[in-house]
Amino acid sequence: SQCPQKWKRIFCTRCNSKRHSRDRCPSVWRVYLLKDDRPKKRKKLILPMHSIYCYNCGLKGHFGDDCDLRRSSRVPNEDGSAFSGDNLTNSLKKEYFQ
Amino acid sequence: SKDEDANILNMDFPWTINRDHSKQKEIADWLTLEIRDFVSYISPNRKEIELRNQTIGKLRDAVQHHWPDANLHVFGSYATDLYLPGSDIDCVVNSKAGDKQSRNCLYSLASHLKKEGLAEDIEIIAKARVPIIKFVEPLSKIHVDVSFERTNGLEAAKLIRGWLDSTNGLRELVLIVKQFLQARRLNKVHTGGLGGFSIICLVYSFLHLHPRILANEINPIENLGVLLIDFFELYGKNFGYDHVALSVMNGKATYLPKSNWKELHPIKSTFQLAIQDPGDATNNISRGSFNIRDIKKAFAGAFDLLTNRCFELHRAKLKDRQGCSILGNVIKYRGKARDFRDE
Ligand SMILES: [Zn+2]
Ligand SMILES: [Zn+2]
Repeated sequence: SQCPQKWKRIFCTRCNSKRHSRDRCPSVWRVYLLKDDRPKKRKKLILPMHSIYCYNCGLKGHFGDDCDLRRSSRVPNEDGSAFSGDNLTNSLKKEYFQ
Repeated sequence: SKDEDANILNMDFPWTINRDHSKQKEIADWLTLEIRDFVSYISPNRKEIELRNQTIGKLRDAVQHHWPDANLHVFGSYATDLYLPGSDIDCVVNSKAGDKQSRNCLYSLASHLKKEGLAEDIEIIAKARVPIIKFVEPLSKIHVDVSFERTNGLEAAKLIRGWLDSTNGLRELVLIVKQFLQARRLNKVHTGGLGGFSIICLVYSFLHLHPRILANEINPIENLGVLLIDFFELYGKNFGYDHVALSVMNGKATYLPKSNWKELHPIKSTFQLAIQDPGDATNNISRGSFNIRDIKKAFAGAFDLLTNRCFELHRAKLKDRQGCSILGNVIKYRGKARDFRDE
């Protein structure tokens, strides 16, 4: 709690996060090449909720980052991982978080 | 090509030779291309495949000659095309009578192979849970392990070949993770490391449960770079080893709270990897991997090394990026120089 790091103001101008600075933004590397960007060719995406499992509690229906139970791993997850509703396309995010 | 061989031998990441991806706009694409280069570099070329097939053919003939009712089969990483250069070939001898696992049989086959000039440096391990003979085939210098009267390895190989056909990116990521663990001596089950089948299950499960893949948004082959980092992130930082087991039944990857694994009853909530055997729901195929602490630490370290390297190269000027490697931060390849597989 005496860590001076805590009082340093951190802000990312790439993604507006307060958890990391701009030059350590996960969006530098967490970039996916989508199957087809042309809207006409793109089929409507469907989120198969029955295939979603949680890495934290093992149950169905949510990703591990979004688990309500106490975190099992002792390594902190401050910035969010790939296994999060936030790592979905906007159209699917709505479906997932509803 | 020949004139570069001298360089290759002194290099930790020979897969980057003549393949510079530093001009890629996205750092993730650069890493994807490096992964593909690595895989193509370590994949066997036609000559190596021929030599391997000839070797297996000769051993099979010798076994049949020795025991007419027996046959030699290849399983493990050679049967699934998931082996690294220099890996042992896993073989099994099965017979109609089913009586070839005795101590006498082990010695009699070993001496037959030696007489035929097909085996040197023979080691007979008769007392193990799975008795085997180990030797080197003199012509190819390939290391061979032969076990007896077992079919589970053959069934697993068949299952894995099906998974490879249905799962884009599985082969590439498995080879990377294997090379990564091998370099850290975390790939041997008898020292608590992760065995080949466990590695395959981890990658298979990861690929099928990944949000972007679930939603059918991406082709894994085009996203190997970010997926490799996501893999290290999941199993190095986030996965709940205490409470969650992996399961792949009928090709469907799921998680399972350890407390709900009815067939394996009672299962303790401890820091231990648990993977339900697709062929036997009562069996945890990773029960031998007791050193999951170091494995997790290694994966977490790989995540940090890779992401730090991405940040560093992202900031760097184009001219300073040239000739750099991202993958080289977590994977080294030392050994005899190789040619890229002709594609
Ligand atoms: Zn950011
Ligand atoms: Zn959960």
